[in-house]
Amino acid sequence: MSNRLLPFALAFASGGLLSLMILFNGQWAANGTALFASWMAHGTGSIAALVFLAGLALTGRAHPRAVRTKAPRWAYLGGLSGAVTVMLSSTAVNSALALSGTLALGLVGQAGFSLLSDRFGWFGLPRRRIRVADLGALALILAGSGLIIFSERLAP
Amino acid sequence: MILPLGFALGAGVLVGVSRSLNGRLSLATSPLTASLWNHVVGFAFLSAVAVIFGGLLPDGWPDAPLTAWAGGAVGVLFVASGSWLVARIGATMTALLVIAGQMISGVALDLAMGRAEGLWIKAAGVTLILSGMWLAQRRR
Repeated sequence: MSNRLLPFALAFASGGLLSLMILFNGQWAANGTALFASWMAHGTGSIAALVFLAGLALTGRAHPRAVRTKAPRWAYLGGLSGAVTVMLSSTAVNSALALSGTLALGLVGQAGFSLLSDRFGWFGLPRRRIRVADLGALALILAGSGLIIFSERLAP
Repeated sequence: MILPLGFALGAGVLVGVSRSLNGRLSLATSPLTASLWNHVVGFAFLSAVAVIFGGLLPDGWPDAPLTAWAGGAVGVLFVASGSWLVARIGATMTALLVIAGQMISGVALDLAMGRAEGLWIKAAGVTLILSGMWLAQRRR
């Protein structure tokens, strides 16, 4: 596969991981609450990450510490943002929005944030030009996602 | 109605914020290290919330299927891959492709579990997503 398409394929596969993750983590929520499911996922995930890192270190394939710059303190708060996401979305799911509305609005929020973030180079990441083709791609993917999310409500 | 609407939109924004923060951290460490911090910090915060509000351990939680235990490990790989991607192809391209992968694999999982309601609408959705992906990768 060409270098050009590798990140492309990885991102698509990453979306597959997300589906599996939601399926598995949801199995905790079936017997409990969204808070419990998220707590278990973060706890078992912490252990899994340590095991993965230890495995890499033992096989001598640990990432060389690419210390270009020290990370700012705020860069450690990704986990906080992720945990709050669970609380917001589990509240929204139990409103009139239901799961489908919550999912659809979440995608809109994510798309809007990422466009602004690239445009202005937020969070210390490179600023990027947004091409018309990117906006077209975004529109097609959001429309397709909307059809899938609401398919069971739309079905005759 | 406004409040849940804001919550649902905000949840999506925070997915992006989280990915950017972890991506920034991965530049100074590694994607897997960023994923470890993401999980440790999230766990500490949720534990604090649970202590304050109580009622964390629900009855019957050990009855969850074995695969529930794998969710955390899958999440570690998901966060690590997102951190690597956002620093390389940008927030928009990462979000767009991850959403595409999530939707299409979701339809595949639904089919595998025998849920075929609205199949034609889902097929139309998958077609739109694939055309969007084709448009996104042109001239890159």
